[in-house]
Amino acid sequence: MSGYAGYVGRRLAQFLLVVFIGINIAYVVTHASPIDPVEQSISAVTSFGNTAPDAIEQMRKSLRELYGLGGTPVQQYLTFWKRILSADFGPSLSAFPTPVGTLIGRALPWTAGLLTVSTLIAWVLGNLLGGLAGYYRQSRGLKLMGVIAMGLHPIPYYILAMLLLILFGFIWPVLPISGGATMNLPQTLTPEFVFSVLQHAVLPALSLILIGVGSWFLGMRSLVSNVLAEDYVVYAELAGVNSWRILTSYVMRNALVPQVTGLAMSLGGIFNGAVITEKVFGYPGLGSLLVDAVYAGDYGLVLGVTTISILSVSVGVLAIDLLYPLLDPRVKVS
Amino acid sequence: MVAFIRELLRYRTEFRIGLALVAVVLLLSMMASFSPYPPDSVYVVPPDLPPSLTYWFGTTSRGQDVFWQVSFAIRNTLLFGGTVALVSRLVALAVGLVSGYKGGWVDRALMSVNDTFIVIPLLPILVLFYFVMRDRISWLMLALIMACFGWAYDARLIRSVVMSLRQREFTQTSLFSGMTTRQILTEEHLPYVVPILFSTTMNNMVWSIGLEVTLAVLGFTDINTPTIGGMIYWANQHTAMVAGIWWWIAFPTIAVIMAFIGLFLLAVSVNAHIDPRSRLWSTGEAS
Amino acid sequence: MHASVEQPHGDQEAQPLLVVRDLQAYYRTSHAGVRRGIRAVDGVSFTVRRGEIYGLAGESSSGKTTLIKSIAGAIKPPLEIVGGSMEFAFLSGYGGLHRAARAELERIRWRHLSYIMQGSMNVLNPVRRVRSSFVDFAYPHIGGSLKQFEQLVVAHLARVKLDPSVLTAFPHELSGGMRQRAALALATICRPGFIIADEPTTALDVVVQKEVLGMIRGIQRETGSSVLFVTHDMGVHAHITDRLAIMYAGRLVEEAATAEIFRNPLHPYTKNLISSLPRIGEDAPRAGLAGAPPNLADPPSGCRFHPRCPLASEICCREVPVMREASSGHRVACFAVNGGDGA
Repeated sequence: MSGYAGYVGRRLAQFLLVVFIGINIAYVVTHASPIDPVEQSISAVTSFGNTAPDAIEQMRKSLRELYGLGGTPVQQYLTFWKRILSADFGPSLSAFPTPVGTLIGRALPWTAGLLTVSTLIAWVLGNLLGGLAGYYRQSRGLKLMGVIAMGLHPIPYYILAMLLLILFGFIWPVLPISGGATMNLPQTLTPEFVFSVLQHAVLPALSLILIGVGSWFLGMRSLVSNVLAEDYVVYAELAGVNSWRILTSYVMRNALVPQVTGLAMSLGGIFNGAVITEKVFGYPGLGSLLVDAVYAGDYGLVLGVTTISILSVSVGVLAIDLLYPLLDPRVKVS
Repeated sequence: MVAFIRELLRYRTEFRIGLALVAVVLLLSMMASFSPYPPDSVYVVPPDLPPSLTYWFGTTSRGQDVFWQVSFAIRNTLLFGGTVALVSRLVALAVGLVSGYKGGWVDRALMSVNDTFIVIPLLPILVLFYFVMRDRISWLMLALIMACFGWAYDARLIRSVVMSLRQREFTQTSLFSGMTTRQILTEEHLPYVVPILFSTTMNNMVWSIGLEVTLAVLGFTDINTPTIGGMIYWANQHTAMVAGIWWWIAFPTIAVIMAFIGLFLLAVSVNAHIDPRSRLWSTGEAS
Repeated sequence: MHASVEQPHGDQEAQPLLVVRDLQAYYRTSHAGVRRGIRAVDGVSFTVRRGEIYGLAGESSSGKTTLIKSIAGAIKPPLEIVGGSMEFAFLSGYGGLHRAARAELERIRWRHLSYIMQGSMNVLNPVRRVRSSFVDFAYPHIGGSLKQFEQLVVAHLARVKLDPSVLTAFPHELSGGMRQRAALALATICRPGFIIADEPTTALDVVVQKEVLGMIRGIQRETGSSVLFVTHDMGVHAHITDRLAIMYAGRLVEEAATAEIFRNPLHPYTKNLISSLPRIGEDAPRAGLAGAPPNLADPPSGCRFHPRCPLASEICCREVPVMREASSGHRVACFAVNGGDGA
């Protein structure tokens, strides 16, 4: 058991490192600007309409504090961290005076739900089909699937999402193309609401899944063809072990191990994709929030979403890392 | 090297298709030098014309010829991807080689940082970057910051290749036969690393171009330099889809998808060809 | 270094377990449009009797791995059986495992025929416990309740001096030697009539090697299995095999009781092989064989050994020598030994 504890310790350390470096990058980026971000943000907000002068003054004060423009560089840095650790990003400028935290709290479940479900479906489906394609190399259907995966995989999220939007929004309008649920439904667990959520999730999820499946498919297929040459597979085949058993317990089971690491490593990239997909389909998650915040010049919200993104992706990676030993008993030793 | 490419051409359908696609895209981008209009002038042709013999890809609502715009855009987009790939290769190579050859705590420390860069979601950070830079953001600046983030995955790959090379027999043999470290690196190891470097370059270009298109579409880049994403951004600004000006979006999209699939196929086929097992499959030795 | 010579006699000799006749197994490749055939096994005939350990020796690329792949039915392109037959006593009428019906194969694999592979430390599935390998490999053949099966496995593990606790361990938790012994137990749990052992001890250090060889010998005696034992290591052959065949460039050149081969090698290649073995108390440098093993894509005409043979004469370049009995049970393929035209 001490082996597992050591493993968990190392993963936790890595998690803290990711968060630390991520937040520092955010700090450097926000402080690298040659222009005064406070005045710029304020002018961006005020240009939209009349804002009361005392509200502007309050904004200026909170922004100055948020940017940590007062004091020595060390003090600025520490203030920045204090803000982050207390999850206090001040009031949102674009939805004044709602706190940034509330807005993020509202958006986070949508993104988390969409991302978890579509990533899981893509991962399971891609690995299953890719595993079969690696094992049954002669199958025409699976070969064709490989060709499709190769064509789909390199297309960026935005383009694919847009193609789906055009296809199901304009050419064959059968699915809702915008929003997270029908507008005037009460957000409680009624069957109508759940159905509406699922219906609205189909297109964004589909675009995430279509791209994800391709990469898992291709990865798994080549992993399987490597595992097939391993001694334990060759031996089991020689021994006449049931071929379904060989495929599942020997080939796929071993090939899945690097795919789990792969899932952890690509979580950041998948999140990037989700941001775009949400924007395209007007999905009320973190992605839409981020993009709208930029348009509205809402500094606190942009910084908040960025920080929460780094944090939630790292938590996701940590969760996968901690589940990993279930699949690969060898980690306890190394 | 020539033999390697010839072999690829002969046995890898993916390589042939990829090369053809990339060639078409490159040709299109080189046409930009012959454009009758400067890239950023507007209202030089009648707006909103569908594709015809005069305007092959139609014209935009801003009075630009889509064909020449696509040509400029794909050139800039490829240059962008190339710049990111080049700069990030330098970092990836340095980190991968040091980590792989040094090993020990250097390796562990570098890989911890490396994995961090792999995991961090880049898009929010780039958006944040745009947010503070606003109009001062330039094409080159964006390329450099993406390069700062785009090396990690490939550094890990290069490291693992180096580690396996280090353990192979010929490394030991050449060591004992008195070759210097530099000779071993350049003469024995480089031939293995070069194809991998090539395929990671292609993949990296796919990645950075994808991100650039994404950012540009949202308007989070220097929108006055025509890129594929920038074109789609302007088309969206003029609600081209709703107005039925489909060619304004369709042609840049087709061009960039061709570039993506072409680059990706080149990467995949080179990768597969280095792997001796799949090489056997494709060259028909396992008929 | 004395082999135990136990010549099987009488009716056992009358019904051999495996008869290989004139086997030809080639690798057929077409690279860059040029079709080539590598004649890895070219006209090999031999017989493995019941209850004996039959050794097969030869340097790497002599074709011995191809030979056992063919016998084991592990024939995947580009390897092809071009001619000849391999008949097992428990599977007659097919001429080789590669032609047997699927159901037949499932019946005999592991029950009658099992393998100890080269690098057998890596034959256990790394992500599952050792027990599941035993269940996957042997339970379908043994049947009964799982509890009974497990008792059987535990009893069998004791033969290779392994504790029952290895069953709940993962392979990486065992030492190399333990994994090797677990693999040995796995290969012999069904008491198969025929075991193919391909360099089973090559990767082990000398002490463990000796122990494992002793165990193979012990289990073989107890179950009465026949073993086809393949290794390039003449020392191991001397230690464990009853009869020994020497392979060179895809053909057998000599076959006899192991002790006879060591005492009285006849073929020039065998002679060289034996005399190049180090002996305690001797420090004179040994004469190696000049030249390299031939390229099997384009083997020498006639006797494939003739370019390196000190006794080669004109006929050796023209004609292929056949295996002939030089004395009782001692066959050799050499014009210089057999004399005449060899026909």
